[in-house]
Amino acid sequence: MSRSLIISFILIIAGIAVFISASKDVSTYANFKQAAQGGKVKIVGQLAKDMPMVYDPQNTPNEFEFFLNDDEGVVKKVILHQPKPQDFEMSEQIVVTGELKDDVFNATEILMKCPSKYKNEEIEVKGDVSSL
Amino acid sequence: MNDISYIGEHLWVGQVGHFSIILGFVAALLSGYAYFVSTKNREHDIIADSWRKIGRYSFMVHGVLVITLIGVLFYAMYNHYYEYSYVYAHVSEDLPLKYILSAFWEGQEGSFLLWMFWHIVLAFFVVKTSGKFEAPVMFTFAIAQAIILSMILGVHIPWGDDALRIGSNPTTLLRQMNDAPVFANADYLSLIKGRGLNPLLQNYWMTIHPPLLFLGFASTIVPFAYAFAGLWLNDHKEWLKQSLHWSLFSAGALGVGILLGSLWAYVALSFGGYWAWDPVENSSLVPWIIMVAGLHVHIVSINSGYSRRSVYFMYLMSFVMVLYSTYMTRSGVLGDTSAHAFTEMGLERQLIFLFSFFGIIGLSLLLYRYKEIKNPEKEEELASRDFWMFMGSLILLFSAVLITMSTSLPVFNKIMAYFNPAYEGRVIQDPVEHFNKYQLWIAVFISLLSGIAMFLRFGARNWEMQRKKLYRRIPIYIGMSALITMGTSLLIEYYAWQYWVLGFATIFAMVSNLDYIIDKFRTKFKMSWAALAHFGFAMMVLGTITSGLNQKHISTNPFVFREIFSENDVKRYVQLIKGQPLFSQGYLITYVSDTLEDRERHYKINFQKLNDSMEVVESFDLYPNSMYENDFSKVAAFNPDTKHYFGKDIFTCVVSLPPTLMSMEEARKVEDSIKYVSHRLMLNDTLHIDGLVIQVDTISFNPSNVDYKNHEHDAGVEVVLSIHDTMSDKDYTLYPAIGLEDALMYNYPEAIVEAGVRIKLGAKMLDKYFTPDEEMAFQDFTIKNGESFSFNGYQFHLDGFNRNPQHSNYDAEAGDLALGALLSISNGTVEESAEPIYVIRDKQPMSVKSYSPKTGLHIRFSNIDPEKEVFTFKVAMDDRNDKAVELDIARDIPRTDYLILQATIFPAINLFWVGTCLMLFALLLAAWNRYAKSRK
Repeated sequence: MSRSLIISFILIIAGIAVFISASKDVSTYANFKQAAQGGKVKIVGQLAKDMPMVYDPQNTPNEFEFFLNDDEGVVKKVILHQPKPQDFEMSEQIVVTGELKDDVFNATEILMKCPSKYKNEEIEVKGDVSSL
Repeated sequence: MNDISYIGEHLWVGQVGHFSIILGFVAALLSGYAYFVSTKNREHDIIADSWRKIGRYSFMVHGVLVITLIGVLFYAMYNHYYEYSYVYAHVSEDLPLKYILSAFWEGQEGSFLLWMFWHIVLAFFVVKTSGKFEAPVMFTFAIAQAIILSMILGVHIPWGDDALRIGSNPTTLLRQMNDAPVFANADYLSLIKGRGLNPLLQNYWMTIHPPLLFLGFASTIVPFAYAFAGLWLNDHKEWLKQSLHWSLFSAGALGVGILLGSLWAYVALSFGGYWAWDPVENSSLVPWIIMVAGLHVHIVSINSGYSRRSVYFMYLMSFVMVLYSTYMTRSGVLGDTSAHAFTEMGLERQLIFLFSFFGIIGLSLLLYRYKEIKNPEKEEELASRDFWMFMGSLILLFSAVLITMSTSLPVFNKIMAYFNPAYEGRVIQDPVEHFNKYQLWIAVFISLLSGIAMFLRFGARNWEMQRKKLYRRIPIYIGMSALITMGTSLLIEYYAWQYWVLGFATIFAMVSNLDYIIDKFRTKFKMSWAALAHFGFAMMVLGTITSGLNQKHISTNPFVFREIFSENDVKRYVQLIKGQPLFSQGYLITYVSDTLEDRERHYKINFQKLNDSMEVVESFDLYPNSMYENDFSKVAAFNPDTKHYFGKDIFTCVVSLPPTLMSMEEARKVEDSIKYVSHRLMLNDTLHIDGLVIQVDTISFNPSNVDYKNHEHDAGVEVVLSIHDTMSDKDYTLYPAIGLEDALMYNYPEAIVEAGVRIKLGAKMLDKYFTPDEEMAFQDFTIKNGESFSFNGYQFHLDGFNRNPQHSNYDAEAGDLALGALLSISNGTVEESAEPIYVIRDKQPMSVKSYSPKTGLHIRFSNIDPEKEVFTFKVAMDDRNDKAVELDIARDIPRTDYLILQATIFPAINLFWVGTCLMLFALLLAAWNRYAKSRK
């Protein structure tokens, strides 16, 4: 048996091993119900706009509280352990990464999908400029 | 609506653009066809030659047309021709000229043009140097150009119910793309303004990173085209000798492009790092890795004839992966998994065609020729450099496959969802950890291989001698590396055994390659570029351990409730109040001041490093900034500032500001919600509210308020207040002021943020300037020219007259008889002049009052007696000291004097930068040497 065949064999086995072990790193977006089972998960949802948002940078610059409406319509409080992201209110969709603890989702990461200003199809007309 | 004849459009740009695109596309196809025929007839010199010439000239025409298109589009952007949608979408009036280039390649169309531009430049050199390979190599170029150009073709073909759109033409008119009511106006151009460049991209990195990255992308076509030519001509030897410098150049150029991207992320963006395994980053890294793998097997194939099939595979794949990355970043498939993909252009099918076309054609040809690509009969020696270089390339390929698989998860999701709409997309939970975990081992293997393989010979020549050398040296390297690794552990935390292994492997590679360089230095320095590149690579990886694994956040707030979050993450951000130092991790950090320059506000942050006995060892300032939106409506971005040391970097970035400073809307909302309570006070009176004792010290008509000085007002009044805070036992002096400019009132409130109080002067204070005449006691004085009179201690002297008087309250009309009296006024300390005006209009006398805010004097020129030559003045004075002070006081106002800061130490980050630069420098140097050698 030639050496290159052995090598390819080893590589294929290594590939399969990596594939199997990496499948642990991958999962679907969870919802709050699944998050309740514990562990770090990613939850996708929308900002519950009728609920309060709290950001008090003077006292807790690293904490921003809001309510997230997950895919199943469950609304829970999220504490994002970061300053409030820019244009947060405009987000259409939010993905938070973190853990559910005592019915509060503690998020360490956030990704937002925003309607980009640079994408809109409206024609901006002169004269609506506001200045400082 | 097409009946409207629009005003001010420059339609020639679109005509030239459209013409260039269509003709350029046809010329590329023609060139491809001609080169194809030329290659087919390569046995017949005359036919091959004439077709080659046609191909060459067609390509030249194509090149000229593409450059023309770039020229007119750039011209249109430079001149703000907003009738073109691409111009409209990427530039604006307020965009500085230096960013026009950045705006040019901000969009997909512009960056396709940039890509084609580099292909044309490279084609020039290929035609000059490729000799008999010109026709087949340029065939690939021409076809690639045609397909890329089709991305901006902008042709619509009727296809069933829908029109099949091929490409998006950057010289399309805005009114053809949109159907907005504004186009009903023939003069719509005077009404619209451009959208401009995203403020995040307005920096010089955006000017240099894309062109270099695209040069790297573009250069991968050369090895691809050569490989393709080799397969086509069934010549698996000649092209290998001729083209190694191109692969070295490509690896170098693409590396530089990627490096600039990560430098940009680190130096100018608030990412707080240089690599994040973002899909966009990964998809440019993969072609580079495969290119590097390819050039290793390429070297093997030149030296011993092995690995030729691998060379073909690697070069085909490197280019195909560039095209695949184009698809990934431009089709919108990445969705929410990437922080910085292009904006979608709706060309997904065309992009899929782009990479599958070259992928399928290339790989099928390779399969077709597979048996004919002969390897030497005997297998490689186990102790040969060839074998281990091949192994290294395989490992690199393995790494590229892993990265591609993980990065392609969104593509996989899309395919699954196509077959099963109920399919739920998968995501990688923690990408950074996921990639690091596997790539760490790749780096270990590569480091070890590059440390040993250099000491082997091609074809295991002289193995007996080499073996002795190797057996003597390797133990020494291992011993030294182990010692150094132990030594570095005093400075670097390795945290886990995997990192120990990686640290050892990289140090081993550095030691052995350095020894190799020293060894070869005297005899063949030029040949040691490989060792230099390996040394750089190992140093780079070591740099990721020191700066990535060991980064420390100075801004860690010691007061967070760790019990809840200990396992999750360190708090990276800290609040800094202006003027209040904060001690953290051995540093005393103070937010000193901030200044506004153009649209950037710079924050002066002072760092003082303290030693154990709390003495200041070192003090320095950093200036991170925040950048406003083009219209100042809100903060668009934060840019960091970094203090560079030889051994570490201190990186700071403002991550957030008080809401009122973040957006105008918020500021307005807060200002509206503040409740002011009016208080009326006399001079020297005191007022007690909520522990504050407020006393009116003086009233001044020369305000000293800091903001006031920025304006030239007609008049202003300021009240100086002494305030004692009984809670904190602190004293303050405030200078609220009010100013008047024509009829507009400007208010300058003052605040004590610590006490949450803000004070502004009531609008009634302005009555001082509007005291109606009937409330004042005017006195009459009648004098001759050159005489004086006195009033309230002021001497008035009539100096003469002005026959063309000017005054803001007087608009001269035809038929007016106007005379201004020039008066000088003095009371010993104040020197002033006044010019009251006497006017006869329609035979009616009237007078224009002169008022001096400084002294409070009201002067009217009320009568002229021509016979006696005497002039009458009416003079009165404000009763200033009698008036009360109106203070509007608000409590519990939100603070605005703080910022949220991230401050991070990246230890030995220079290892990463210097290592990367060494590696790329070695690649480019080698490319140059190889090129020089191939010319001989």
